[in-house]
Amino acid sequence: MTLASVAQAVLLSLTVAGLYAAIAAGLTLTVGVTRIINFAHGEFVMLGAFLTYFLFNQHGVSPWIGMVVSGVVIGLFSALVYRVFLARVLKHDEHNQLLATLGLSILLVNIAIILWSPDPRVMQAPQLLPALQLGGVTVPGNNLVVAGVGGLLFLALQYIMRHTRYGTQMRFASDDAELAMHCGINVDRIFELSFVIGGVAAGVAGGLVALILYVHPVVGLDLVIRAFAIITLGGLGNIPGALIGAAILALAEGLTSTFVPHGGSFGYGIAFLLLLLVLVIWPNGLFGKQAHS
Amino acid sequence: MSARYSLLTYIAVAVGLGAIALAGNAFLIQAAIGVAISAILALSWDILSRTGQVSLGQSAFFGIGAYGSGLLTPQFGVVLGWVAGILLCAVAAILIGLVTLRLRRLYFTIATLSFGLSMQVLILVTPGITGGSTGIMPPVLMGGSPPAQLLLITGFLVVAAIVSDIFLSDRFRPAFFMIRSNPALAASSGVPVVATKIMAFAVSGMVAGVAGACYGGLYGYVIPEDVFTPNWSILPLAVSILGGMDTTLGPILGALVLRFLEEIARHYVGGVGYQVVYGAVIILFIVILPRGLVGGLRQLLRKLARRDAVPARSRSEAKA
Repeated sequence: MTLASVAQAVLLSLTVAGLYAAIAAGLTLTVGVTRIINFAHGEFVMLGAFLTYFLFNQHGVSPWIGMVVSGVVIGLFSALVYRVFLARVLKHDEHNQLLATLGLSILLVNIAIILWSPDPRVMQAPQLLPALQLGGVTVPGNNLVVAGVGGLLFLALQYIMRHTRYGTQMRFASDDAELAMHCGINVDRIFELSFVIGGVAAGVAGGLVALILYVHPVVGLDLVIRAFAIITLGGLGNIPGALIGAAILALAEGLTSTFVPHGGSFGYGIAFLLLLLVLVIWPNGLFGKQAHS
Repeated sequence: MSARYSLLTYIAVAVGLGAIALAGNAFLIQAAIGVAISAILALSWDILSRTGQVSLGQSAFFGIGAYGSGLLTPQFGVVLGWVAGILLCAVAAILIGLVTLRLRRLYFTIATLSFGLSMQVLILVTPGITGGSTGIMPPVLMGGSPPAQLLLITGFLVVAAIVSDIFLSDRFRPAFFMIRSNPALAASSGVPVVATKIMAFAVSGMVAGVAGACYGGLYGYVIPEDVFTPNWSILPLAVSILGGMDTTLGPILGALVLRFLEEIARHYVGGVGYQVVYGAVIILFIVILPRGLVGGLRQLLRKLARRDAVPARSRSEAKA
């Protein structure tokens, strides 16, 4: 274990953290506002990855544009999902909502398997940025893109929540939906908005997935399970908490897979050992609000 | 539900599955074994959910049951090996229950996702004891005769149904549901909240362990990915909610319907994507029958009863 190999593992992990943060920030926003554990968030990411992949491989569209297109398309798709389906289960018990999004997730994964086969694909995109050379350490250009775009997405979501009228309304509806309703806020609309913002973030994150990971129908499931661990680590609904959770998880995974024998096969087991440890000490996550949900 | 209905449920289960076992159609027997194991697992989930603990971690106990009974049977014989394996589930459930005791709602559910996945890691890092990723070969149940396996598993399903009904009886029901709807009120009314939640966890873990032990004994081959997969956590949730929560009949009915539809889908859609039907069924059911099959049936019966009652009342009014 040399210094250079540790530095390499840490830097690569931090770029993966950008991807995790992009997915987790959107998810924690949706979960925080609507209190729905949305398993289909992972499938939104998966669909975004396939969209970016097909745009590049079949039409030669640059992944830069592919990411934006997939953000818009998945945002619209999530609005459709909300109106046609989720709005109908919002008033039911939370286990029903949980099963509803699980059913949606199973449906979308299997449609993807039927349409595109379960085989993993590689986008083989050119490096969008030059690689970063630091001493003996190399970070590929596309990993820099992932870290950069993930970071920007995180800042954008944080800005929307903290500094816009809609953000204030979303936080209000999240704290007390009934009171917000009595104050004249259209809570249903705000729920939908939070769902769509989460969808846009998932679509863009899907583009990032296509850049650095294999694209396949269950890629979203793998990622959303990690994202759940991350947002719980950081406290549900807490966007900066999601960023820190993403960094912690990506580092833990990167270091175990590099330095522990067979560490790579632990998969998201790492995420949850970490999560259980944190929850034993802080039942509401690292930065969660006390006595909330 | 009165005792009469419970007894009817047990008899229907025993006679129905028993008839399939004796009729000897190989396909039906395999399908019935699948239904019975799913129903046992779903009952275990439902018992836990009655205390407000909505779990996505039943696969952990399913897997511990399969591994525990599989590894201990060669040491202690079938009966003691199974008892020890199931007790192992109870111990694991109590430990995990203590860890998650303070977690509320969404935090609890997400944390439970970790159980099965953490167990899988634990198996992978202890190949000396558990066989690691290559898995284990537990002794095959009932000498590998499917009809005899089905009869045995049917027996376990009836036991699970009785356990479920015990926790729906007046002795436990009010405490369980009060803990779910308002734990603070339950505590101040003298309900031992911690003890009850942990007990529900232990019982639920043992029942799930029985389902896992049955599954492990079917083919005599168990690998970690097979028994700790999140599918065994999602299935009991889907089966119980679609069948009707807080009942014994619901999870059994839900297992029957969901497994039946799954077999049809496997036959007609085939391939790898047949589960698209599974997802679609869940979505349709949750929109159309949010209270499950049993809830829907009750509503229907109530509506029919009201329709009968209306003319009777108007007749008496006319007389007056």
